[in-house]
Amino acid sequence: MSRCLICGCSISDQSTLMQLLMISPNEKEICDKCRQQFIKIGPENRCQGCGRQRGPYCDDCQQWRSLTGFLLANESLYQYNQAMKQYMHDYKFQGDYRLRRVFAEEMSSLVASRKPDLIMPIPVHERTWQTRGFNQVTGLLEVEVQTGLLVTQEVKKSAPQSSKTREQRLQTKQPFKLLQPSVVFGKRIVLVDDVYTTGRTLYHAATLCRQAGCRQVWSVTLAS
Amino acid sequence: MEISLLYGRRELVPKVDIPTKLPDTVQVLPTLAVTTSVRCLRCNAMTARDDGGLPHGQYYCPQCINLGRVSTLDSFYHVPEPNQFSPPSEPLTWRGQLSPLQSRVAEEVRKAMANHQRHLLWAVTGAGKTEMMFSTIEQALKKRERVCIASPRVDVCLELFPRLQRAFQKTPIVLLHGQQEQPYRYCQLTVCTTHQLLRFYHAFDLLIVDEVDSFPYAANQQLLFATNQAKKPTGGLLLMTATPGKTLLREVRRRQLIVSYLPLRYHGHLLPEIKRIKISSKWRCRLAHGRLPLTVIHWVHRHVQTKKRFLMFVPHVADLTPVANALKKIIPQTAFATVYAADDERLTKVQKMREGQYQFLITTTILERGVTFPAIDVCVIGADDEVFSSSALVQIAGRVGRSADCPNGQVTFFIGDNTLAISSAVRQIKYLNRLGRKLQCRDV
Repeated sequence: MSRCLICGCSISDQSTLMQLLMISPNEKEICDKCRQQFIKIGPENRCQGCGRQRGPYCDDCQQWRSLTGFLLANESLYQYNQAMKQYMHDYKFQGDYRLRRVFAEEMSSLVASRKPDLIMPIPVHERTWQTRGFNQVTGLLEVEVQTGLLVTQEVKKSAPQSSKTREQRLQTKQPFKLLQPSVVFGKRIVLVDDVYTTGRTLYHAATLCRQAGCRQVWSVTLAS
Repeated sequence: MEISLLYGRRELVPKVDIPTKLPDTVQVLPTLAVTTSVRCLRCNAMTARDDGGLPHGQYYCPQCINLGRVSTLDSFYHVPEPNQFSPPSEPLTWRGQLSPLQSRVAEEVRKAMANHQRHLLWAVTGAGKTEMMFSTIEQALKKRERVCIASPRVDVCLELFPRLQRAFQKTPIVLLHGQQEQPYRYCQLTVCTTHQLLRFYHAFDLLIVDEVDSFPYAANQQLLFATNQAKKPTGGLLLMTATPGKTLLREVRRRQLIVSYLPLRYHGHLLPEIKRIKISSKWRCRLAHGRLPLTVIHWVHRHVQTKKRFLMFVPHVADLTPVANALKKIIPQTAFATVYAADDERLTKVQKMREGQYQFLITTTILERGVTFPAIDVCVIGADDEVFSSSALVQIAGRVGRSADCPNGQVTFFIGDNTLAISSAVRQIKYLNRLGRKLQCRDV
């Protein structure tokens, strides 16, 4: 018997006879009640740019296209609702690293389904490493990822994106730099982040990859 | 950081932020002990390395994460408690009177706490515990000791705080709990939930824990650990309860814990004893068809006819509506309501019961403690359900006869079978009444 990582209730092993016979461990990280609070983004009516259900090309993405000349073809698993906000708070800001397991399997298979040459998680600032102790995006991935290529470039940590308004976020300067741009050349890259909000962070990272001559760049996030 | 905020506390600081030069008084303490598993030095919980692991060989404690994460990336700042207080010469501004029995017990407790003992005050429900600890607190304050009153329940803390403020008007008091928005201050007197004790380290000369038997304190190793390390190793610990659990009673029997009894209520009367009435253990099947056991119906009828008000306890929230529907059919003219924990109108309904607009309330264990209605009876349907612990049953029985005008009343348990919890509740009340009767004889 295990406990739900979110509400702490005990998850009863309701293994079917078949599972018992096959001796496949029935390991659930959270209970069904908590699982239901997270709502998947359906396949219908998705925007080609941000992946949200806003019609084929939403206004935001049309702006991105005129601004940067390309679209990310982002795909997100879940809606950024109250339950997801609480999850992000507990996982990222409170630092409960166990919570990575809740979505690790789904995220990893989504990223792998794109069959990229490189998987690049959005990096966290050096200061975050020293206090939080982990990169929340890398934590969500159980597959081999490319770290150390895309790094943060500011010496001092600026205010977190989540504390800014939409306008402030869109005005954020390029926070990353690409070490060894030659590695990226001609590759198909998936960028991974936790939340897609305005797209600013991911477009900054994607721009660097395109400048370095990558063949294609998409993005995947847990929520949007 | 203001250095007084660190007195007797442990504050988390990221290791990167610790300057090379610190004031001499500030100690830097470790946060976790990592061996084959990870032990938290704040809450003492053991965590498997897999569950408490961070990248790059770092660890954290997932158990007490709500109080701010403890990890190997942090250290604690701590300054040993210096007792820097200047108490007024007469801190107690309360001018009330204790009954002779109350003052005798209060004196016993005061003497025990002067020697910094571990002491249990076992006082029946409605005995006036709060007033009895005033002289103990006063004695400690005068000696420049640091004092804390903690309870597992926020509502108990919220109720205690203003009463203490009124009783010790010249002493600054700080109130701490999870939803508190005001920042922590260094005060001689602290009122807090038992969870908040985890933030203190060897701080208190006198620590009083109220309602030790209630959830989640009883049988919670983390909170027991918190209690022991929040007080100074030389500090005194006073536990207070109306319904001591198994562990405490065992300690009393083995003479590891000294106990003061107060078996009589403030008005000097005995506790009402429990009457058990047998009903079918399949009463829920009958209820599903909209019928209550006959004995219950008779009981209710009798109360309605004599206009005696009462509380009816049921085991689960799901039982409330069927019972209410069945009663509506029998006594359509009588005003009553159902109350449960997540009820939005809970407070208004309780208020209406107080004002006499309802003849009775049907409720779950949420009304087991902290509520007082004058002149009521109590019945429990299905008291043999496992949700009722013996302490809950004693507390439920303790709702009856709380006022001096009407010190008697009926406590009726409708049961399918006897359980250990019921027998132990019955036994506990009989035991206290035996002690009480002796006292009554002595006083007369």
